Amino acid sequence: MVKEKVIAILAEYKDCDAGDIDAAQSFEELKLDSLDTVEIVMNLEEAFDIELKITEDLKTVQDVIDAIEKLV
Amino acid sequence: MLRSKVCDLLKIEYPILQGGMAWIADAALASAVSEAGGLGILSAMGTDCERLRSEICKVKTLTDKPFGVNLMLMSPGVEDMAKLVVEEGVPVVTTGAGNPSKYMEAWLAAGIKVVPVAASVAFARLMERIGASAVIAEGGEAGGHVGDTSTMALVPQVCDAVRIPVIAAGGIGDGRGLAACLMLGASGVQMGTRFLVAQECGIHENYKKKILKASDIATLVTGRRSGHPIRTLKSPVARRYAEMEFDRSVCDDQLSGLRAGGLKKAVLDGSESEGYFMAGQIAGMIREEQSARDIVRSVVSEAEELLKRCDAWLV
Repeated sequence: MVKEKVIAILAEYKDCDAGDIDAAQSFEELKLDSLDTVEIVMNLEEAFDIELKITEDLKTVQDVIDAIEKLV
Repeated sequence: MLRSKVCDLLKIEYPILQGGMAWIADAALASAVSEAGGLGILSAMGTDCERLRSEICKVKTLTDKPFGVNLMLMSPGVEDMAKLVVEEGVPVVTTGAGNPSKYMEAWLAAGIKVVPVAASVAFARLMERIGASAVIAEGGEAGGHVGDTSTMALVPQVCDAVRIPVIAAGGIGDGRGLAACLMLGASGVQMGTRFLVAQECGIHENYKKKILKASDIATLVTGRRSGHPIRTLKSPVARRYAEMEFDRSVCDDQLSGLRAGGLKKAVLDGSESEGYFMAGQIAGMIREEQSARDIVRSVVSEAEELLKRCDAWLV
């Protein structure tokens, strides 16, 4: 559930199909820079009504999914 | 008299910060700017802990006024320097090139005012949340490492998004720039390029000469391909980089090798062939070498004159 929602939000941010995003990919591989990553994570916080620790440990989509799953 | 909440926050006379330019912003320049009533900022880049500590001590002997240290979060040894600023009781820390989250607790506990550079709204909001005292919204007109959004577009959007004071940077070189940034909602400005030609700035004569003869189109940005764009004067090596960047047969390592150490060669040797003379787009406005005091005073008095005449627009 979390995974689908995260990928849907990412797909919307990137204007691409959810099917094109693999959770194992890093933000770098998705051609998202550090500013994009901060913006996306803040969008996710709003969507899930949580607060994440935004650190350099959040490298892949799966890292973010794991962090969110601990909080919801 | 020109005064803003940044003056109260940082305990300075005028809302002008001097950018903590790597290899350039040393004790001589930072103390002169602080003495002049602005906030002088030392760069921790291009130095090590021992030298940074001695520069901090020098500033303290040269001025009783507040000063800052700029930490480039990607640079090697930054973790030790993050501890050093606490030990030395540095009043203000500005940060660039990254997220200072992991240092915030120690810095805030030490009473340090943390003022990160932010190149986007989301990043500025994050900085407010982790306890920053203010943010520097730096637009792509700036010299050195730059973001894409221009100061004109970035500053009002950041001002709308955060409650902490916003300091505008990038493309500000005189009182008109300061007054304009106050209109955009900022509470102060940070200037780098203008201070390159301060008498107290110890860069090589060639570097200063290049700034003084620069025109409005004298700079370019290289490194977009690598994700680390840098604005610099169009020196031979910068032009070569710009050409090679579009050449797919050139690998990334070759490119980064071309630029490596270029700023140091510009600052210390004034090397025409290999120097990377970083500068912002306002370089073309700078016509004379002045003392830091004259720079700060002239920017402030020009802004005051303009702000006094603001209602002339209303008929």
